[in-house]
Amino acid sequence: MADRRRINGPPGSTMPPVFEDDAGQPEVKSGKGRDRAPTAIRKMFLKTGVTPSASGSAYLEFEKSNKSDVSGLKLSCTVHGPRSLPRSSPFSPHIVLSAHVKYAPFATKQRRGYLRDPSERDLGTHLETALRGAIIADRWPKSGVDIIISIIEGDQDREASKSQGDETWDMMNALSGCITVASAALADAGIDCVDTVAGGVAALVQDAGDDSTPRIVVDPIPSEHEKVLGACCIAYLPTRDEVTNLWFKGDLPASDAGLYTQLVENGIQASRNANRVLVECLGETTS
Amino acid sequence: MASSQHVLLSPAELSYLHSSLSLTPPIRPDGRSPTQYRPLSAETGILPGTNGSARICFADGTEAIVGVKAEVEKTKRRWDDDAIYSENQPTEGEGQQQPGRDGDNGEESGSSEWVELTVEIPGYRDDDSGTIFLGQMLSEALLADGGFVRKLRINRRFHWRLYLDILLISPPLSYPLPLLSLTTHLALLATRLPKLKSEGDEDPFFDDDWAAAPYLYPRDPSNKQKVVERPPVTLLVMAVGGNIIFDPSKEELAVADVALAVSIGDDASTAQQIQGGDKMDVDSFSHGSGSGRNLKLLSIRTVDPPSRLTPPGVANAANSAYGHAQVVSSAGAGGNSQKMPEARQTESEAVEGVWKPPRGGAKAIVMGALVQKVLIRGGVADEVLDALEGVDTS
Repeated sequence: MADRRRINGPPGSTMPPVFEDDAGQPEVKSGKGRDRAPTAIRKMFLKTGVTPSASGSAYLEFEKSNKSDVSGLKLSCTVHGPRSLPRSSPFSPHIVLSAHVKYAPFATKQRRGYLRDPSERDLGTHLETALRGAIIADRWPKSGVDIIISIIEGDQDREASKSQGDETWDMMNALSGCITVASAALADAGIDCVDTVAGGVAALVQDAGDDSTPRIVVDPIPSEHEKVLGACCIAYLPTRDEVTNLWFKGDLPASDAGLYTQLVENGIQASRNANRVLVECLGETTS
Repeated sequence: MASSQHVLLSPAELSYLHSSLSLTPPIRPDGRSPTQYRPLSAETGILPGTNGSARICFADGTEAIVGVKAEVEKTKRRWDDDAIYSENQPTEGEGQQQPGRDGDNGEESGSSEWVELTVEIPGYRDDDSGTIFLGQMLSEALLADGGFVRKLRINRRFHWRLYLDILLISPPLSYPLPLLSLTTHLALLATRLPKLKSEGDEDPFFDDDWAAAPYLYPRDPSNKQKVVERPPVTLLVMAVGGNIIFDPSKEELAVADVALAVSIGDDASTAQQIQGGDKMDVDSFSHGSGSGRNLKLLSIRTVDPPSRLTPPGVANAANSAYGHAQVVSSAGAGGNSQKMPEARQTESEAVEGVWKPPRGGAKAIVMGALVQKVLIRGGVADEVLDALEGVDTS
């Protein structure tokens, strides 16, 4: 029997109301559009050696976008090892690499639990693929290295509901940051790599407005665009001109092969830019 | 399950395999041509308790079954739902009376949470990162273009929740991605959802005649066997030397330079548009119009090739058992190689016939070539989709 004498709250959970800034403004998903050039990535801050107890560590922060309620990506990476494998594990002629990526519970709009969910494990697998190509694994037989990344703050729009479905695209940005920060931490730990690997993202986006045609931008923030049609994240070794990990997602017609090639080229360009920051940071540490 | 499961091949065997796969044309251990799939037997509708099911058995003995189950679920309302409706549909009251889904605007989209896909591989934990990677790859392809979840919408208040349970019932003798993808494809084609009897935003009420249940992927009204739109397919493709090899077996994957999983969709709707308009490109003429579908690229993932984890071979020149080690160390880098005997061994020049695990990544051009080869009109993707069309899914 329902209690009719009191005004009860709704039985389930609800979303808090979000008020529009200006009632006269038409509701547009992106408050402000992108103000960077299509080929410019956001500024980033990278520092190695932030965790003294780990054998290598790095911290990466992306610049906040022009929108006040979008936070930048903040990542912290620690590398433990190379250390000997436990006695019980089988012989390995190579270093055994294990990568853990974890969002902090408070990093995203939706709270994340303490256990890694499938998307986080998926990011870990991508990261492993990207790094395994870069590490010279046969210099450390019978040893293992753990790479642990915690995403302290995700790259998300705080406004509820307007950015539904953007989480999938945010993962690409997170992965590119993970690759760059892990590469810095590996260098800090003194693990031999063929080159410094850095991540870059390029996306085919549709802007708000009726007459806009899809265009390719690097380092996209999904909330700045009306719709993301496709994106690719690339891990790239600049001196060898090689790609260690390629992850593409989207919906492209196969007849337009040029579009795919352009996306990849832009992704490589973005990762070259990130690599410049990485090399500069490592140079500062050694000097 | 990781692609990098243990491969029990010696460095000499790996080297032999690598060189025979690098020949033009490549010689594969099982005698297939580079673009040939393993023969398979397939059937659908094997599980009466599901909405749709399929089983595929590859010739190498790997076998998978997929069951699709559907449940009606209440759609979570968002706080600004009313705002959206009032904006897009000024005549809200009339919209209520319009029958069926036509009253809703086409922009109505579903949520990717409506599809739950799980992969079960015997001998591997549920939370094994490789198994999760497989599951994410398959669901990513399915959800890539938002069109699939739109099919699951019943009305504004209710939607179908689809559970796809993918079971590998044989031990994983090869990287099971192509097998699981093809089985999922067939199971989705065979999936039927009960016919809706209620109208508009009423609580859903269904026809209890299973024979009247429509397919999730609608059939061509003139030809009952013909499917208008097809679910995505994920192909595993790898490069060795200058060769591109499809559907590699476990041993072949162990010597891959790079391996990609490419998901493609068959877009029948745009095919008609392009055929109708004069947008037909030169490309389709050269391959003969009519043959070939309009494929679309949905996702690409790099599969970590297990070749990086294989043990390296030791060249005779560096092998102390042959008495050559002294010569190398005195002629080589000197003190450094004295301190690190492994380094001396592995940093040596590539020797013909001595296996060296690949290092670094792949050129972007090579990856591009792999993707091109998948997407080419009348290529392997077309063959696979044609073959799958031959399976009776009714």
